Amino acid sequence: MKVSQSAKERTKIKILESAVELMTIKGYKNASLREIAKEAGVSNPTIYNYFPSKEKILYFYIEQKLIETSQILQNIEDFNTYTLREQLQTLIETQLEFYLEDREFVTQIMQMAFTPSMGTMELIYEAKEKFMEMVSEMLEIAIEAEEISEPPFKEYMPQLFWDYNIAVVAYWIKDDSEMFENTTQFIDNSMGVVEALLHSNILQKANDLGLFMFKTHMLSGLQKFSTKQSGFSKIKRKLGEVLNAK
Amino acid sequence: MQNKIPTSKRARGAVVGKAIFKIGVAQSKGVVKRAFMSKKRKEESQKETHEEIAKVIIESLGTLKGISVKIAQQVALGLPFLPKEYLDEISKSFNSIPPINRALIRKIIKQELGAYPQEVYESFDTEAFGAASLGQVHLATLLSEKFAVKVQYPGIAKSIDSDMAVLKFALTRFAKGGNVDHLIEEVQARLHEEVDYEIEADNTEYFYKNLKHDLIVIPEIERQYSTTKVLTSSFLEGRSFKEFLDSNPSQEERNHYAQLIFDSFFIGLYHIQMIHADPNPGNFIFMENKKLGVIDFGCVKKLDDDFLTSFSKLHVSLMDKLPDEEITKQYAELRMIDDDTPKKMLEFYQEVIKPLDRIYIEIFNEDFYDFKENSDFSERGFNIIMEVQKKSITAVHNMNEEYIFVDRTLLGYYAMFEKMEACIDTRFAQRLVRY
Repeated sequence: MKVSQSAKERTKIKILESAVELMTIKGYKNASLREIAKEAGVSNPTIYNYFPSKEKILYFYIEQKLIETSQILQNIEDFNTYTLREQLQTLIETQLEFYLEDREFVTQIMQMAFTPSMGTMELIYEAKEKFMEMVSEMLEIAIEAEEISEPPFKEYMPQLFWDYNIAVVAYWIKDDSEMFENTTQFIDNSMGVVEALLHSNILQKANDLGLFMFKTHMLSGLQKFSTKQSGFSKIKRKLGEVLNAK
Repeated sequence: MQNKIPTSKRARGAVVGKAIFKIGVAQSKGVVKRAFMSKKRKEESQKETHEEIAKVIIESLGTLKGISVKIAQQVALGLPFLPKEYLDEISKSFNSIPPINRALIRKIIKQELGAYPQEVYESFDTEAFGAASLGQVHLATLLSEKFAVKVQYPGIAKSIDSDMAVLKFALTRFAKGGNVDHLIEEVQARLHEEVDYEIEADNTEYFYKNLKHDLIVIPEIERQYSTTKVLTSSFLEGRSFKEFLDSNPSQEERNHYAQLIFDSFFIGLYHIQMIHADPNPGNFIFMENKKLGVIDFGCVKKLDDDFLTSFSKLHVSLMDKLPDEEITKQYAELRMIDDDTPKKMLEFYQEVIKPLDRIYIEIFNEDFYDFKENSDFSERGFNIIMEVQKKSITAVHNMNEEYIFVDRTLLGYYAMFEKMEACIDTRFAQRLVRY
């Protein structure tokens, strides 16, 4: 039987929802794919077809929330008049709004992410494509509109912003303030810093300084290194200097 | 760039600690220096110390942002006996509420009202049209009618107590001639009320229902679209205080609006026993057809019968120029002078209070008071406060909060009338005071 693309998508989301629910109740570790399949009303082979492993569900969750976030942003009428900071901040806030619905579940993901042996962090990072795409588009537009000048290492900016995003989620998980007010302020204030960095030329200047230091000192250091002076010859030379001085 | 506003208890504690530590340093520096100085230099150095302290206070409050602006306003309102240096520095923090950008507005509205602004309202202007106490105001429409939506910056409510801890510490040690503890508490209570927009909604509705005057317009609250952090009320169209003055209004217009402000204060005081206690010119809208809009009921003061009776009695006595002994007794009844020997009480009255109430009662001595002719009113008042500051009287006396609030509000209005160069008719107010 041929299953249409949208029906496939619906099944996938149905499985995801069941997984989130089950994992929220039983914990990520204790919820098996078999149980998830049962909860979602699909057969065991079917679920393996969609998600060969539980990790793939996490991956899909993050991706799915980003797709929904992107849809919300697209529906903001005057989004194109937002400043870069406002756009980025809306992205972070909207994503958090989705996470809020599944806070327990997201808490579990984050806990696993920060447990070194689990490999969850790597997994989360694999799911970042959509996010990076959105950020880099916002950056491109801001550069084109001359809101900011092109920052050095522009291609790494989305990656940096993704790291920032993870930090925000980690902060939010630990936030016990009423209505997560602290997170709101944390985002607002840190976005202020991001904005200031992007608007000033400080990144460019830091880059210039770095390049200067590298060219002037590191390169010469490298050259020295490449001449392969042995430790012994160094000592001999120094000794010679001392002897000559006398 | 916005500085980080520390809100975690520990971070704020650290900031508070820093301020207290710094004040300690500033003060001891002054004391050590002064020990070696002539009497003449002493005064100057004291001033320097005050300025230094004021700077430290403001520096710390600056880090705490948001709420401090309001505290600054409240202090200016509630503590008339503060040295000028404090107030100068404090007033610098005015208008520095962090702006709420569009990303944040969306979030707050969604959190408070359950949907994004464009979904909640027919239209919602994402650019704020004005700053409000502890937030900003946006224009929105519902059923084609205009509404003002006041949105509060997140985290404000929490920061009140630690901000006040700094201020209390600073003021109890340096505000001369006054026990300010309960005034600080009063200000603190006011602030807690003010950050709760539901209380403001209640107050606004109270004024809307009870303050009956054909020419005074009070906004209507849309309860369905209001929470503790979002307040939706009908939008009053008109000119601001500055726009009004810039339009070069006729003397008649000036007098008219000043009179409305003045009378509405006394109607509030005597008819509905609640006053709008924030005499900020921004709270008045100069509307069409000679109407005056009054907005922002975040800072109000309820007054009970006992207070009004003593207040009126005192004012009548002052207007009728009764002997100082009698007036001292009435101030004591109002809990403005602590019980002591009659001689000491009289001395306190004559040294500290009398110079102030002289100028204050001046307004009621005639049927008309022309602020154009008396354009130095607030300057004289200020100089008197400075003179009182220098007096050697050290007794710590209570200050009746209600009395201070009523007085400060009136003085705030007088400063406005002075700018308006208006002449007011005091007969209506006099009648009310005399019953």
